[in-house]
Amino acid sequence: MELNQQNPAPGDIQDKEYVVDRKDKIIEECEELWKQMEKCQQEIALTGGERLNPSDAQLPLLMMRLKSLTAECNQWLERTPDIIPLNAENLVALGKEELQKLDHDLEILLSTVQSKNQKLHEDLRREQGWLDEQEELVASLNEICKELKNQVIPVSEKRTLLELKTKMTKIRRHRQKLLTSLGEVLDKHFPLPEENGNKKRKRECQPNARLMTMHEILEILINSLLHSPHDPYVKINDSFWPPYIELLLRSGIALRHQDDPSQIRLEAFHQ
Amino acid sequence: MALLRPLDKLPTLDVATILLLGAEETPLEQLGTAIIKECEGTAKVQVHVASCLPLPTDRECFRPRIDLIVFVLSLHSKYSLRTVEASLPHVDARFFLGKVCFLVTGVRKEPNTSIHMDAVRKMATAYHSPLLFGDLEVECFRASVAQRLIQILQICAGHVPGLSALNLLSMMKPCLELTMQET
Repeated sequence: MELNQQNPAPGDIQDKEYVVDRKDKIIEECEELWKQMEKCQQEIALTGGERLNPSDAQLPLLMMRLKSLTAECNQWLERTPDIIPLNAENLVALGKEELQKLDHDLEILLSTVQSKNQKLHEDLRREQGWLDEQEELVASLNEICKELKNQVIPVSEKRTLLELKTKMTKIRRHRQKLLTSLGEVLDKHFPLPEENGNKKRKRECQPNARLMTMHEILEILINSLLHSPHDPYVKINDSFWPPYIELLLRSGIALRHQDDPSQIRLEAFHQ
Repeated sequence: MALLRPLDKLPTLDVATILLLGAEETPLEQLGTAIIKECEGTAKVQVHVASCLPLPTDRECFRPRIDLIVFVLSLHSKYSLRTVEASLPHVDARFFLGKVCFLVTGVRKEPNTSIHMDAVRKMATAYHSPLLFGDLEVECFRASVAQRLIQILQICAGHVPGLSALNLLSMMKPCLELTMQET
């Protein structure tokens, strides 16, 4: 049973009547359906029940299922969908629902897009920071590179050789100065015993050989150490004045050989 | 002997009725209260509890139409299985088109059960009804079982437009498949 569409007439009273009419129509429809149901139910009540045998239930059950399913299927096929009466109120309500749904979906979309946007902003900011750091690095490295290039270009072979030569001459001159001053100091402060001194002492020492100056003693020791480091020991002979030897030994400048007391060596200060 | 028939009475408007059948009373009552608590505010549900069929005839006219029968079994009690087996012949064949389901409890306890799972499965497959497992002792599990039953009940009472009890039954996985896979 379908609802007949009544044209909405202008005027309040007629609208109210129209509304009441529609309600009545719906109630009428429901009453009809209920009466149909009662009829069907009476018929069902008359048919009586069917008992199932527990051991042998499957086949009858399946047959019943098949029948009911086909009946339902046919019912669905026959049925045409009821259209809700398309009047202004229903349309307005439907429209409102649709718009609300749309609004909800759009809000969700908006929030997701905003969060994505935010994330992208953050990523951009971070990447920008990295880019700046890298650029600074590149700039500083470029400067260092330039400086190094500037330092490298002026260096040529001749220049290095000349520099080395000047260094060498300087060092040699310094060495010479040191040696001469050392010799002067030694001669001044460590002279050979004079012949005018105690003759007794001289006789005790038996200065038969010529005595060497401190300078010469040290020279011999240095030479032996530098030229033959594997055997730096020098044998003491009579030309070595014993007090000087004692002085050298006591001050730690010379060392006695472990087994042979007549051999001494210079302490290796340079090692 | 009276037979419990699905469509022998007119339905009460907006009300769905569920019948819980089982040997032990307390778990059934607890489940009943859980069901009523779960569906507060959404729909009206009536819960009837019985220990065996046939239902007493003296209150026949006050009883509403039953939409769903739940047979509650415990794996630890052979007595529950026997009561269910004794009550099954009193149910009309048309009930088994989706308006009956079996609920098994006590699966979580130690595995020395008095009833073997196969016996229960065979019964469920013989009557082509869904077999549910649930724990009725812990409250939160009881609540979830109640929710499930309410869903099935709504469909069986016809409150879900477009879906009938038979449709639901066809969509549920049959027990037979499981046993065949096991053997």
